[in-house]
Amino acid sequence: MAGFIAQRLAKGVLVLAAIVVLNFFLIRLAPGDPAVVMAGEAGATDEIFVAQLRTKFALDQSLPGQLAAYLGSIATLDLGYSVRQQMPVATLIGERLPATLLLTGCAFLISIALGVLLGALAARRAGSLADTAITGLALLFYATPLFWVSLMAIILFSVRLEWLPSFGFETVGAGYTGLARAADIAQHLVLPALTLGLFFMAVYVRMTRASMLEVSRLDFVKTARAKGLTEGVIQRRHILRNALLPVVTLAGLQAGTLVGGAVLTETVFAWPGIGRLMYDALLQRDYNLLLGVFVVSSAMVLIFNLVTDVVYRAVDPRIEVAR
Amino acid sequence: MFKTILTGVALTLAFAGTAPAQTPGGVANVVIQPEPPGLMLGLVQNAPAQTVAGNIYEGLLRYDFALKPLPGLAERWSVSEDGRTYTFNLAANATWHDGKPFTAEDVIFSVEFLRQTHPRARGNLAKVTGVTAPDAHTVVFTLSEPFGPFLGIFEVGSLPMVPKHIYAGTDYKTNPANNTPIGTGPYMFKEWKKGSYIRLVKNPNYHVAGKPYLDEVYWHVIPDAAARAVAFETGKVDILPGGSVENFDIPRLSQAKGVCSTKKGWEYFAPISWLWLNNRKGPTANKAFRQAVSYALDRDFAKDVIWNGLGKPAIGPIASSTRFFNPKLAKYSYDPAKAKALLKESGYKGETVRLLPMPYGETWQRWAEAVKQNLEDVGIKTELVSTDVAGWNQKTSDWDYDLAFTYVFQYGDPALGVARNYVSSQIVKGSPFNNVEGYANPAVDAGFAEGAATVDVAKRQAAYDAVQTTLIEDAPLAWLLELEFPTLTRCKVHDLITTSIGVNDGFRDAWIER
Amino acid sequence: MSRAIAMTDSPPAAPPAPARRRSPLAAILRHPGAVLGLVILAGAIGAALLAPVLYPASPWRMVQRPFIPPFTLDRVPLGTDALGRDIAAGLMHGAGVSLLVGLVSTLAALLIGVPLGALAGYLGGRVDDALMRFTELFQTVPSFALAIVLVAILQPSLGSMILAIALVSWPPVTRLVRGEVLSLRSREYVQAAVVTGQTTFTILRREVLPNTLSPIVVLASLMVATAILLESSLSFLGLGDPNRMSWGFMVGAGRTVIRQAWWITAFPGLAILLTVLALNLIGEGLNDALNPRLSRER
Repeated sequence: MAGFIAQRLAKGVLVLAAIVVLNFFLIRLAPGDPAVVMAGEAGATDEIFVAQLRTKFALDQSLPGQLAAYLGSIATLDLGYSVRQQMPVATLIGERLPATLLLTGCAFLISIALGVLLGALAARRAGSLADTAITGLALLFYATPLFWVSLMAIILFSVRLEWLPSFGFETVGAGYTGLARAADIAQHLVLPALTLGLFFMAVYVRMTRASMLEVSRLDFVKTARAKGLTEGVIQRRHILRNALLPVVTLAGLQAGTLVGGAVLTETVFAWPGIGRLMYDALLQRDYNLLLGVFVVSSAMVLIFNLVTDVVYRAVDPRIEVAR
Repeated sequence: MFKTILTGVALTLAFAGTAPAQTPGGVANVVIQPEPPGLMLGLVQNAPAQTVAGNIYEGLLRYDFALKPLPGLAERWSVSEDGRTYTFNLAANATWHDGKPFTAEDVIFSVEFLRQTHPRARGNLAKVTGVTAPDAHTVVFTLSEPFGPFLGIFEVGSLPMVPKHIYAGTDYKTNPANNTPIGTGPYMFKEWKKGSYIRLVKNPNYHVAGKPYLDEVYWHVIPDAAARAVAFETGKVDILPGGSVENFDIPRLSQAKGVCSTKKGWEYFAPISWLWLNNRKGPTANKAFRQAVSYALDRDFAKDVIWNGLGKPAIGPIASSTRFFNPKLAKYSYDPAKAKALLKESGYKGETVRLLPMPYGETWQRWAEAVKQNLEDVGIKTELVSTDVAGWNQKTSDWDYDLAFTYVFQYGDPALGVARNYVSSQIVKGSPFNNVEGYANPAVDAGFAEGAATVDVAKRQAAYDAVQTTLIEDAPLAWLLELEFPTLTRCKVHDLITTSIGVNDGFRDAWIER
Repeated sequence: MSRAIAMTDSPPAAPPAPARRRSPLAAILRHPGAVLGLVILAGAIGAALLAPVLYPASPWRMVQRPFIPPFTLDRVPLGTDALGRDIAAGLMHGAGVSLLVGLVSTLAALLIGVPLGALAGYLGGRVDDALMRFTELFQTVPSFALAIVLVAILQPSLGSMILAIALVSWPPVTRLVRGEVLSLRSREYVQAAVVTGQTTFTILRREVLPNTLSPIVVLASLMVATAILLESSLSFLGLGDPNRMSWGFMVGAGRTVIRQAWWITAFPGLAILLTVLALNLIGEGLNDALNPRLSRER
């Protein structure tokens, strides 16, 4: 197992390095650069100002030189400095990452819990009205544009009913501490986490349902039935447990992508996470910051995938450790 | 119109009639959009940075709605007969937020500092040959020749005072103090949660006795325009500075109970929007074609439908609230027939022209779509080129466009904010704010030079009248609208907009009724 | 946002069962959901085809007062948007653009994904390893973020949007095809082709790929749906093509006035919802039809 992990880690580092190099050039293909953006925002510029900015952003150095410098700092686990924000990239990401992890983590749990539950229910009554209703509902949440659902939820729950706050991570300036603060954050979390979670739920409903139907035809289930076990026990102990394996795999894939990907939700709900940070960095051509977000979220994906694989192996001894 | 009058009356009544006593204390929750890159006003000049940091830093002067100077860090000022020596008497009790006194040395240092970092200040100070400090609280500026608009350059965003004791002898750009800005203003920087909010607290040692009134100001970062409107509606924020919500939301929000709105507080900037027309190549190099564009534009439709009745058609290079504007020179009205005739005269053969919208939200996008329609109605084939802020800046400053939307601040005087867009010495790549269209006319160059180099108002008016007449005839670009960005507040917020830069230095006087 | 991966990384357990295949069409028609899906999709395609006939003028043309609510004026049955453009005209013209984005980007993704997957699965060894690393590269970077960056770099247009969507949605295709080819490679008829000295290309084209078709078709139907959603998300962020009226563009443009005029976003939103739903239902029907093992449950 240790060998397997080491091998996977080594491959992960290679993939990560390739991502850095690829994105390094990709980002620089975009029209404009951080100096142009800063100059444009200033309301007035002249040659001296632009030249100063270019020096400040190290744009006057050669591209390979910039890449070498960046790779050098990455190798020492230093994500570099955001000249625009006047702060180390690691600090900026560190400030935002917890919010994203909280949001996507909750959305993730909601989607899995609801998805598996509803999927199992649907599978059990495959072909029935309940099955149709569940799969239809899940599909509906998947097919409706996420931002539209989010805006509607805000209008209903924040504006009309005034139950939940519409934006932000917590009530600014309220000075809550301890439990009160947790409750406050939880209130702010409900809408974004729920809308995001319901969107992802569809996948798990479908997956769980398909997987359970698949497993329920396998021989050991027939054996269990022959033994006279009750249907409930069979469903829970035999079918669901085995049917969850592909769900775990998918969850691993999903968990990773959730990290980098809540841009829309973070935008609509003004959630201070790294998805929004990424988008702003892109618009401002803040190269180091944008690359930093890519590196961190990609690393997260790799780690999640590794963890899932390890879990998978622990759950299912049939899989050989060697590839 | 009727409604405007009513609102005006209501406002007057509110100010004159009740006039409740100013109650100290309270917290203001304000929207800031987008999040500024920094708050060190000497280094960062984008609009949101000015809005927040204008309450941390101060300039020597402030300006009322008619652009007359008001005391800022300077309590009194005088100009010599020949218009070449300006003397400022500074507030004696002003201190920096760290307790160090503010003196004439800081002014001299600030001029030096800004000449290195602030492109607009660099231009404004071009004629200054010397700055001296006869004593700790007196500063004298000496000019090489008279400069008409000189008293107009001391606004906080244009010439913010920066602390010598923190920056002298350091690398300004990397000074760690940039993250904890120290000014002399009514509020002190306290905390900045990136992506969430910026928190300012009252400066207890502010040099104007009794001010400021509020204890704290929170600036909330809310990236989505619809979410900003909801935040105001639900009472999470009390102040929407001009431009922070889409225009489509303004009527609904301002009609809500307990909401007051004002269009004041933008006189210094007087933003005019126009279409850059590339005078160098393509159909837009032809004067008749450019005039045709100007006749094809339905400015009233843009004003009524896209800007929800805000703003007014711009008739020429100088905004109506800026000095030396001449209303008699109007020429272009919405006249598609005339546009078609001019188009024919220009020899336009149906080439597709690229139109670059401004990447500043949906209002601008809709406007570009409407203008495209206007142009196609008279037979100009138009393609919208979509891009983001960086791409827009790159394309306009590289002159890679045919028509491009923009809006530009006037800074109160043609010599400060207008000349740069038309004089030939400003045809320089790399800036989206200079003579981007590439128009060159010696008569216009001379006219602008003449208008700037005297303090005699009549002489200046004559020079600028000539310039305006020529520019309107040559149509180097197509003026669209003078923009208005109303500030929306809860009515319990009083005296927020008291100068021509509005919210940017508004919290000095603002108070909340409790 | 892993839209591209989300629905398209469909159940790994979907091996083809060519031996017992019934007529797929007949099987689909027995699937009520899929029939509904086909009907809706036919409606969308019909709208796209009829748009130039029913609304010959440009959908960008301002025809009436802005903000006319739906069902109040016969001339503009679905109302007008913020500039007075006819929503119904936009919907009809938008159908074509949205379907085009979905279809072309999916085709492009297949064009990248199928050959890579086939080569990786058939050749195995180092080639497989290298190709899989390459695929992993694209699966590791958050796909929605990558799509945003790509559109921003290429500047928003129909072409750049299609390219970006294709570039983030091919990896699942590669993985699927690779798996299929891997299992087909050792079949007798393939081995026979190898012995008779046919080239790798010919074998892949004649013997292997035709047998991987059904899972690819299922996946592709879901990818079209995902692409349409992705287009609307990109448009929401202001990265849409300003010269093409698409549903995504309409929703994106209407979102700022959602409080005053619900219909501007609701109708195109509904159109997106229905089309995505239809494609998913068709995908499910196809899956059941082409993979009859599961359909017995119904």
